[in-house]
Amino acid sequence: MGGSIVIIAEQHGGQMAPVSYELMGLAEEIQALYPMEVRTVILGQGPETLAREWADSMGGGVVAVDNPHLKTYNSELYKDILGRILPELKPVFIVMPCTTQGMDLAPGLSVRLRAACLTAVDGVRLEQGEICFTRKMYNGKIEAVVRPTVKTTLLSVQPGSFKTQKPARRDSGLWERRSIGGQPEKTRALGRKQIREEDAGLARADVVVAAGRGIGKEGNLSLIRRLAALFPKSAVAGSRPLCDSGWLEYKQQVGLTGATVSPKLYIACGISGAIQHTVGMQGAGFVVALSTDPNAAIFNLADVCIIEDLTTFIPVLLETYAKETGRSAG
Amino acid sequence: MRLLVCIKQVLESETAVFLDQAKTWIETEAQARYGMNDADQFALEEALMIKEARADTKVDVLTVGPGRAGQVLERALGMGADRAVHVLAEAEGYLAPLIIASWIAHYIRERDYGLILTGIMAQDDMQGQVGPMVAELLGVPCATSVIFEEVDSEKKSVYVEREIEGGLREMFVLDLPAVMTIQTGINRPRYPSLSNLLRAKRQKALVIDAETLPPVEGREKVVGIDYPRKSGTGDVLHGTPQEKALRLIEILKDKAFL
Repeated sequence: MGGSIVIIAEQHGGQMAPVSYELMGLAEEIQALYPMEVRTVILGQGPETLAREWADSMGGGVVAVDNPHLKTYNSELYKDILGRILPELKPVFIVMPCTTQGMDLAPGLSVRLRAACLTAVDGVRLEQGEICFTRKMYNGKIEAVVRPTVKTTLLSVQPGSFKTQKPARRDSGLWERRSIGGQPEKTRALGRKQIREEDAGLARADVVVAAGRGIGKEGNLSLIRRLAALFPKSAVAGSRPLCDSGWLEYKQQVGLTGATVSPKLYIACGISGAIQHTVGMQGAGFVVALSTDPNAAIFNLADVCIIEDLTTFIPVLLETYAKETGRSAG
Repeated sequence: MRLLVCIKQVLESETAVFLDQAKTWIETEAQARYGMNDADQFALEEALMIKEARADTKVDVLTVGPGRAGQVLERALGMGADRAVHVLAEAEGYLAPLIIASWIAHYIRERDYGLILTGIMAQDDMQGQVGPMVAELLGVPCATSVIFEEVDSEKKSVYVEREIEGGLREMFVLDLPAVMTIQTGINRPRYPSLSNLLRAKRQKALVIDAETLPPVEGREKVVGIDYPRKSGTGDVLHGTPQEKALRLIEILKDKAFL
């Protein structure tokens, strides 16, 4: 197979997004099946430093696209520039992270490039000699194996799914700066603003007890709070639907658009385990999951799986613990 | 101005899903319940709020799906949408986002919509592709994950804030017409009103048979589905709730969490 794998690295304000390095992990897995060269495209306003650092640590073939309007992300300009330069690189696979930026960019760019578009890819495998990619559906309960049927495929990569082998020393790579003109006509970027400070209690907690849709009603949150109260340095968190209902504050949301936490212990109560949530807690040291659904995806991440209804199980747990401590104290 | 909201009928989120015999697509129990995709409810509510804030604004809703999907159109009319469009596609199974987007774009091209809204993602196949694909097919600007918007009718533009990672928002002004995909939590979707529901019962959706639309090829195939391989080596606790509670306490004490 000729052609190349092109990584679209994501950077913000001159800082490489850590998830960009994971893209190399997917590229390496594809290369193991189909040897192909890897190129990397970095877009920005003066992206030379980033390009040099990337070429030094990850290998060569870097194209640093410089444009004065690329200080921040702009979907229109990204599609315009990538639509012009990518065909020159003859990509078979184009990989970018499935971040909010990747989700914004990938589908439209694929239409422009006449490429297939697979989002939130978390695995690569051969099926009957053809390269296929896996992704989750139905809150992570189902895995689909998807095969592209055209010659170019754009893949957005689920954060946390791939790791680069990153040898101690790669050949210090070549990079080139390309100044590409153009400015957005219909999309004016006005910058970014911080809307929510991180919840310091949540970030520092050793134990996070998190609730999902499975808690059923707001009143059941008191069970979550009582469970959290068993642990010193604990915090209560939740998945997005609970914040959307106003039951928890958005600063308590763990997941893609919420907080990323890595406590020593994470207790997931009534959480299905959709990727949007688990991406925020996959760094937890030890995970206990509680759900009525034996097929819930959260059980794939859990060290301890308890198939019970939290509304009946947590009271039993609290009562049992009270008896236990009473006994050992006496 | 006329607004179009693209909505999808999906299985209710706690519904059990199974693999069909050949492991090609999902199966559900016969009594499985369907409803309007969560994020699409927020998109529709946002459109209805835009309509209520200005004169001469109408909201149409469109769905692509089999006959049963008419139910979400009825609900949308019940919430206050003015007209409903049903692109009837009876085939069950995987329908590529590009095909859906192409049908929607085809419908829009022959009409005059100032703003197209949809949810950030369907909760069943979790792709989030149709909205930005429609925008690209129409050659109009697009913002996904919109958590705040303000339409400026005079300047024919919309100010949007996108919710991104790390508690940040990205701000843009898009020229109209434009596509927005709406993040959940942007508003509180209303319940259908009785009078609207009664009207919805009488009002017929415009039905477009997908087979009459220009054919589009998908660019990917789902070759199979499965339950995810257990990646963890999780310890499943057995016994009565009391026994499980005791075991859990033991484990947490062993690990020095308690």
